[in-house]
Formats: sequence, structure tokens, C-alpha cells
Amino acid sequence: MGLASGGIVIEHVVKRFGERAVVDDLTLHIQPGELFVLVGPSGCGKTTTLRLLAGLEPVSEGRIYFGERLVNDIRPRDRNVAMVFQDYAIFPHLTVFENIAYGLRARHAPRGLINERVTSAARLFRIEHLLGRKPRQLSGGERQRVALARAMVRDATLYLYDEPLANLDAQLRHQAREDILTLHRQKGQPAVYVTHDQAEAMALGDRIAVMRDGKLQQVGSGLDLYERPCNQFVAFFIGTPGINLFEVEVRPDERPEHGGRLRLVHPAFSLPVPAEFQTQVVPYLGQRLTLGIRPEHLQPPRRADFAVSEDSTIRGLVNVIEPTVSGCTVYLSTLEPTPRDFVATLKARLPGSYLGRDIPLAVNLRKIHLFDPADGRALLHGAAAAVPVPAAAVPVPAAVNGRSAGDETDRQGKATVQEPAKEQQTSEASTEREEQA
Amino acid sequence: MTSLRLEHIVKDYDGPGGRQPALRDISLEVADGETLAIVGPSGCGKSTLLKIVAGLEFPTHGRIYYGNIDMTDIKPQDRGVGMVFQDYALYPAMKSKGNLAYYFEHHDYTHEQMEERVRRTAELMGVDFQHLLGRFPETLSGGEQQRVAIARCIVRDPTIFLMDEPIVNLDAKRREKTRIEIKKLLRTFGVTTLYVTHDQQEAIFMGDRLAVMRAGRIEQVGSFDDLYYSPANLFVATFIGSPPLNILPAAVSEGRLHMAGQSWPLPPELAERLPPGPLRLGVRAEHWLRDQPDGLPLEISHSERIPTERIAIVHGHWLGQRVTVSLPLEQADSKSGLARLRPDWEQLLYFAADDERVLASPGPPELF
Repeated sequence: MGLASGGIVIEHVVKRFGERAVVDDLTLHIQPGELFVLVGPSGCGKTTTLRLLAGLEPVSEGRIYFGERLVNDIRPRDRNVAMVFQDYAIFPHLTVFENIAYGLRARHAPRGLINERVTSAARLFRIEHLLGRKPRQLSGGERQRVALARAMVRDATLYLYDEPLANLDAQLRHQAREDILTLHRQKGQPAVYVTHDQAEAMALGDRIAVMRDGKLQQVGSGLDLYERPCNQFVAFFIGTPGINLFEVEVRPDERPEHGGRLRLVHPAFSLPVPAEFQTQVVPYLGQRLTLGIRPEHLQPPRRADFAVSEDSTIRGLVNVIEPTVSGCTVYLSTLEPTPRDFVATLKARLPGSYLGRDIPLAVNLRKIHLFDPADGRALLHGAAAAVPVPAAAVPVPAAVNGRSAGDETDRQGKATVQEPAKEQQTSEASTEREEQA
Repeated sequence: MTSLRLEHIVKDYDGPGGRQPALRDISLEVADGETLAIVGPSGCGKSTLLKIVAGLEFPTHGRIYYGNIDMTDIKPQDRGVGMVFQDYALYPAMKSKGNLAYYFEHHDYTHEQMEERVRRTAELMGVDFQHLLGRFPETLSGGEQQRVAIARCIVRDPTIFLMDEPIVNLDAKRREKTRIEIKKLLRTFGVTTLYVTHDQQEAIFMGDRLAVMRAGRIEQVGSFDDLYYSPANLFVATFIGSPPLNILPAAVSEGRLHMAGQSWPLPPELAERLPPGPLRLGVRAEHWLRDQPDGLPLEISHSERIPTERIAIVHGHWLGQRVTVSLPLEQADSKSGLARLRPDWEQLLYFAADDERVLASPGPPELF
């Protein structure tokens, strides 16, 4: 059914389970040939969105188009979608060959074509020698490649991936990612890839959509989301280690030589507001803001690759030094009055003798992020990218309630995890069954 | 608190094909208060090793010492170990506090002693632990449940702490936060700990030292720098490091290195050290030099960005071999210098062609 040049359009789509909108007014345009990634914490609606695209769930409101064709009322089988699942969803009683051939047989493809396609897909994914085996004789990585080969032999209009790497060891993931990109490029059709792992999203996606509580937060390239997050949630969710968040108060600089300048004051430190951000910060004079500092924007003053002023440092107690290829990641806590965890990624290896000592780290002030605590909206770099988000949808930062921002997301994550069980339990078996119906 | 010593531990299982060795001659020492991370692919024997230390399994041969005390034949309940598993295993019908107190209610302690121990543990667990005590496990997030499970171990004053993939069931973001908490707790309590994981990054983070296992053997024990810059063999070299090490076949003759019809002069020290004949190069993503007069083009397939380290990883083919190359993030779009690329010979690992032996390795670089 062709559609090689068609993109995918999701227009104001709502999906309700009972009273609850699991997907809430979602609008997305997926370009022809694009690998589009949906990322978000458990319960954000990303897997439901995938199931709506596959036709495994009907939409409550809104429209989905494959190219020009409205597919709202089209059965899964007739949407011609190929899915790859986290648990691979391969049939245990069938050989690898029959598993790969399944979709083609269900469509009554001629035997010659089946043989040819299965063999060439198996060769591509290095499982040629396994065609006669049953799935239980395969390793996790091999099963995953069977699932990819099964998608490869299809000529689908749209390819959907539901956390396909989640069950693989770290060392296998790099290879598996390459295999998925190979599949995607060879097919040249739009693909939607769902993951909760932002690092995977950054590695794979042409564009990434961040979702939370059924709502779209921001769409952009990985670097867009990282450097210009539209709100505090996106800033926190994208990036490992995560952005450091501090609750600060905006006060005038009292020293006469700094007349008219503003400072961001935290119980453990105080930082000057760079002149270029003065306009955005002035309206918050005397009020609270959430300050975000990426781990790589904290460096030892004498080794920083940015301008360092004497009054732009944060002191921290070194708790853990984790070696990395390019230096190390240092986990610290602020000194007074209540210790608060933060992270810095340094370009040099900090010697172990610094453990338990307190060190100053200079802040790259031009790279700081500021968020309005009322609605989490970004005030500086990502301000233009903002998608309106209701106040309640954004985590309350740190010191407000004496707990850390992470805890907050923990509990909220838990609260929203009660999505219908069937969202988690998807299997190709059910797709195929519906396809045959 | 105590050190831990394993001497020549062997464990055989009776399997369908006869005796199957699960552990083959494992000897290890863990210092008092140290965390040793045990890492290896699934089926390497790391969980079996943990069970043997706990006394849940008994070794076929070998001895286990806690400090100077031989524990080999001691029952698990008398060893005083604290174990934390991936599935938390909290008693669902009890609030967190009940989970902590359970042990004391079943071992001759007074109510006051129990209250005191629970109070002290909660204090050590941190300011925000108190509010978890009055809640049932099902109302806690995965990370919170795991903290309660850890507190339940700590409250008993374990001699040795054993953790088996404790955070594998948490999603990526929560894992990041929970591992910091666990690491801080391990430091606070200074309990000798074995920490089992399949994830090298987690092992690097958690372990004061790491032990890499494969097929029932320990391949190497050491710091991250030891494993990364001076691996014991090809297996350790490919297991540690992300993206994985690229292996390129090559040959040495007359002080030159030959690869796929090309050849380069070797630095004198390497030329002297490497035996003539075929060998394999281990090239990490950061081991490439760009813009070299004797460089060759990289055929790019795709790239990924790692903003926190300010690098991009470019995947592609070089001399017909799959390779990964790291670039400064700022140059990720221009791909500058990739047309004349070659490995930095002095940084590479050199392996024998026909087995896993290391012929030369660079050792850690000078960073300061």
C-alpha cells in the first residue's frame, strides 16, 4: 500500500481510560523517512500513543493520518504497521525461520519471496546460522535480531519500536542500536521509537518528543532539548547526570560597585546574574526562581574553559568520584545549612585524596537555566520553545518542601504508573491475531 | 565489620551433561570497609559467588574467611550477612518500620532496644527517610522500597553486605539517583560490600575496585584505570569501556604497522616491543588523531551526541572496518578532520592475533 512519501500526522489526539486522559491533546507531524523518538517516564502515555498508531486502541478524540489517509477507523491489519517489542514477542513453538516468515505467510506471500526475504534479512542481522533453531536456544541479543528480521521482511507503512533495547546488556545495546538504524534506513519509512531512556533517545532520534502525564512537553533535536529545554521537567529529564536544580531568591547586589545588578541567592551560595539575562530576571526581584546548572558547567576555577569571576563559585563536599573517559563525574553536596546533592562532570581526573574534602567549583554563568517556580517555564534559553504546560504538571523544585526534586518525580512517577496494565503487556501475538481477524 | 577472603573457591553443579563447573578456582580479598563490584555477562557465575559468600550455597572446594574466621561450614543465619536483591522482597503486609523491626521481634530484644536501633538507622539513612517509616511497601516507589530494603539490612549491623543487582528494576532516571544514595550509605556505614551487577558503568560507580568475571573465573581485579588502560586480556578490554573497543587486524614488520594494504611507521618504543607478525589493535573512540598527513578517510554512518561530556561519537568504517570515533561536540556537525584520520599508535592496546594476550598497553594518561 505504498505511501513511501507519506508522513504521519497525529492531530489533537486524546485517549481516555475511564475518566483519565492517558494521552491528552497530542499533535505531532512525523516526516517521511524520519526516525521519531517518544521519550518520557513510565506512565507518560508514550506506549499508548504507539498503540493508537498501530490501531490496537481506538482514539477517544482527534485524528491520525498515514499520509493523506485518515486511519482512525482502519483495523490494525489494514494499517500495515510493523512493531518491534521489548520482549521480542517471538513465538516459542516456531523456528527462527518461521518466526521471521510469519507476517509474510499471514499475507499469503509466495514461497519463493518468503525464502528470499527471510534469508536476506537473516544475513543482514547475522542470524543465518540460527534459522532452524527454536527461540529458547537463542540468547537475548539473538532473539532481538529475530524480531528485527521479522520487521525487515515486511513492507510496512510505519515501523513502531516499543523499548526494543530494554532487555539487553549494555554491551549489546550499541550493536542493537546500529541494527535498528540499519533497518530504518533500508526501509526508508517513518518510524516511531518509544523509550524511557533519554540517552537512547539522544543517540537514535532525528527528532525527540518529550511526554509527561499524557501531554507533549517539547519536540526538538537532542541538543535542542538539552541546551534549550522549554521547562524544568524537560531540563531534568534530558541529560545524564541530570541538571542540578537549586531554589534561589532574586536580590539586588548590595555592594556599591555592583549597583543595579542582581544576584541569585541560595542558602549555600550566591551568584551574580549576567548582564545579558538582567531583563528576564528583573520581574522576579524579591521572588523565588529555580536555578538549573548542567554538570559540565561546573569546573575547577583554574581549569575552567569559560570566564570565571571570584564571586561565581559553589562549594561542595566531595562524596563520590566516578572515572569517565574524558575525566570524571564528581558527586558533591552543598555545605550549609542543609546538605543538598549536586553533580559536576570534570575534564580532568580528580585524585581520590579529594574524597570527603570541600572544593570550590566555578559556574559558567552564561549557561545557567532559570525556571519560574509557579509553572516550571524556562525564562532564558528555552523560553521561545515553550509549549504551554499547566502548573500542576511540573515538579516542585528542591528546597520548597525540604525534599529533593528527584524525590518529587519519584512520587509523582509512582502516582501515574497506574496506567491500565494492558499498556505494559503488549505482544506481537495480539497484533498478529488482530491482523488475521 | 570485617575483611573478606576467598581461597580457591570451586563450585560444581550436577547438570544434564554431567558435572558443570560454575566457579573455577576463585581467590579474592576485600578489605575492611571496601566495596568490591563484581561485573560480568549473564551466566558468568557472579550471583553464585555471592550466594557462596552468604552461605546459601556451599563450595565444592575452597575456604571462605570473614577476617580470620573460617566461615566455610557456617550456616547462613549465623554469618551475619545483609543481602539486598533486585526485587526488594519487603514484607508487603507491614509498614516500613515493621519491616525494619521484624528481625528484633524474632530475636530476644526488648521493645526499647528495637526502637533504639530503628531510630538510629533511620537517622543514618538521612533526613527524608523518616517519612517512609509509616508507609506500606506498595505506596513506595521502587527507589524508596530499595532504600527500606537497605535499611532493613543495616539495622541488623551486618558483618558483610551483599547486593545483587539492587537497582536493575528501576528506570534510568531513578537508577541514577538511587545509586548515589546507595554509594553514600555504603560510605557512611563503611561495611565491607560485594556488589554484583552486569552493568559496567554501575560497577565503575559503585566499586572501590572491580572484579571482572567470565565463565566462572575472575579475569582481573583492579581500579577502573587498571582495567581500562592496562586490561589483563582482550575480554576485559572489550567488556570495560563505552562505546565498546574496536578490534582491527594488523601486522608488524620492520618497525612498520600494516593494515589493509596501508602501512605506517611505529613509534620506536612500540616497534621494539611488538613482535613481528600478525596482531590485533584495540582502538577506543578517543584514540584517534584527526587531520593527519598520513590519515585515511572515515566513511560515516551515523553519530550520537553526549552533551554532558561535550563529545559526539561518530560511527563508521575506516579501512573497511567498523569503528567509533569521538569528536568534540562543537565539531560534531562539521565532522572536521575525519577525512585524514588514523589511530594514535601510542594510546592503543595491542593483542596477539590468535589468543587474548596483551602485547602492549599504554597505562593511564597524565591528566594533571
